[in-house]
Amino acid sequence: MKKKSNIVIDVKNVSKHFNVYYDKANTLKERAIFWKRNNHEVRQVLKDINVQIKAGETVALIGINGSGKSTLLKLMTKIIYPNEGEIEVKGKLTSMLELGAGFHPDFSGMENIYFNASIFGLSKKEIDSRLEDIIEFSELRDYIDNPVRTYSSGMYMRLAFSIAINVDADILLIDEILSVGDKHFQDKCFNKMQELKKEGKTIVLVTHDLGAAKRLCDRTIWLSNGVVRMDGKSDKVLDEYVKECS
Amino acid sequence: MFKKMKELYMYRQFLKTSVKKEFRGKYKKSFLGVLWSFINPLLQLLVYALVFPFILKIQEDNYVMFLFSALIPWNFFATTVSQSTSVVVGNGGILKKVYFPREILPISIVISGAINFLVSCIIIFIALIISGIGITANVLWLPVILLIQSIITLAICFVLSALTVYIRDLEYFINVLLQLWMYLTPVLYTMELIPPQFAKFFYLNPMVQIVNAYRNIFYYQTMPDLKALAIWTVLGIIGVFIGYVIFKKLEKRFAEEL
Repeated sequence: MKKKSNIVIDVKNVSKHFNVYYDKANTLKERAIFWKRNNHEVRQVLKDINVQIKAGETVALIGINGSGKSTLLKLMTKIIYPNEGEIEVKGKLTSMLELGAGFHPDFSGMENIYFNASIFGLSKKEIDSRLEDIIEFSELRDYIDNPVRTYSSGMYMRLAFSIAINVDADILLIDEILSVGDKHFQDKCFNKMQELKKEGKTIVLVTHDLGAAKRLCDRTIWLSNGVVRMDGKSDKVLDEYVKECS
Repeated sequence: MFKKMKELYMYRQFLKTSVKKEFRGKYKKSFLGVLWSFINPLLQLLVYALVFPFILKIQEDNYVMFLFSALIPWNFFATTVSQSTSVVVGNGGILKKVYFPREILPISIVISGAINFLVSCIIIFIALIISGIGITANVLWLPVILLIQSIITLAICFVLSALTVYIRDLEYFINVLLQLWMYLTPVLYTMELIPPQFAKFFYLNPMVQIVNAYRNIFYYQTMPDLKALAIWTVLGIIGVFIGYVIFKKLEKRFAEEL
């Protein structure tokens, strides 16, 4: 019997396809004149996915490029919606899907902290109380007043991660961007995630760093060709994955 | 329903930031900046007041004030609707990468438009005093009429902001439509000028009663037609619900269409 009340992310029979247009028509004129233009290819990215993630689990999501990992995370974040099936998420969710997502390039690091945190739903007071922690963790104090378009990709990631872990989310979805940080910061992130794990937060991590996956995540889901190939204890799944890849 | 309202309340800081961004962006690069909020309506007024009395031969004691008290509220409606067509498309970048309740975008446009309108109201008051018409207690109806107008405008903005994602032409088409709409609303003229067989169709236009209400409290200095306002409040609320439902339906493919 599954303890239903414990499930924080419930992916039920989800399928998602994208229409890859060769030349998209999005004005009236183009639709009227070039009606043949809407020639497209249907790419089935996810097929009938069923995944239940319980509170407090740390899950690694692995698979080759194009297997649908980022799409699945985007669906959970509600940036896109499934064609079939549904996704239920209980609790506050924050995700780091793309470097610099939600950053306004002309705003300073400080302004972007407010902007980003408010996109997440925090009030000004709440952001004020967390400001120190965020700047501290990012180690970007000297650069915090510069516009973020002057930041390197590593700095982007540091700021994004510092904000993401300080917004009191129950669920953290992290796509492959952690690899952008230097070793020191990667270790820092890793330790922080261990901390969050102890606090009972739910983490879903897309990674190609199989070592990190093994150390941090108890469970690994292997996506292949849009379906769940394996879903279970990290040791087992990762060993199979390595075997397949070599 | 309440879950959605709770979510919107949670995002109030983002709403505030969006409204501020509207203001910052609007006047940031122009020389006169915020002053345009005042000057724009004044210039428009000047042009119409000089030209129309000669062309239309309208019998009004003070055509300038007659026009002004309807033109400013009309501008709130027209510019807000016009801006709403591009608000979702314009924010395509962050929409594709981060989750937030998308409806905040059209809502922020309506709110910043309303604030802009309130600032212009100061000009109306000054003009009323200078022209000798004066201000009566009837202007206290202003917030009520503004609220009703905002609700109706929001309903339209919901639909347009979402539709424009799929049909980009709407952004341009809507400006022409708004021009026509203004001529179909008694802004430049009075209702009496309309032949009676058409008059009843005019009342289908939500802005007709709204503009009349504003003109009543500013120019004619009487109470607005409460029955009409009540009807439009109800219609406005229904409109917002329908508009919202349409927005949510179309919202699903935003990230893919942009």
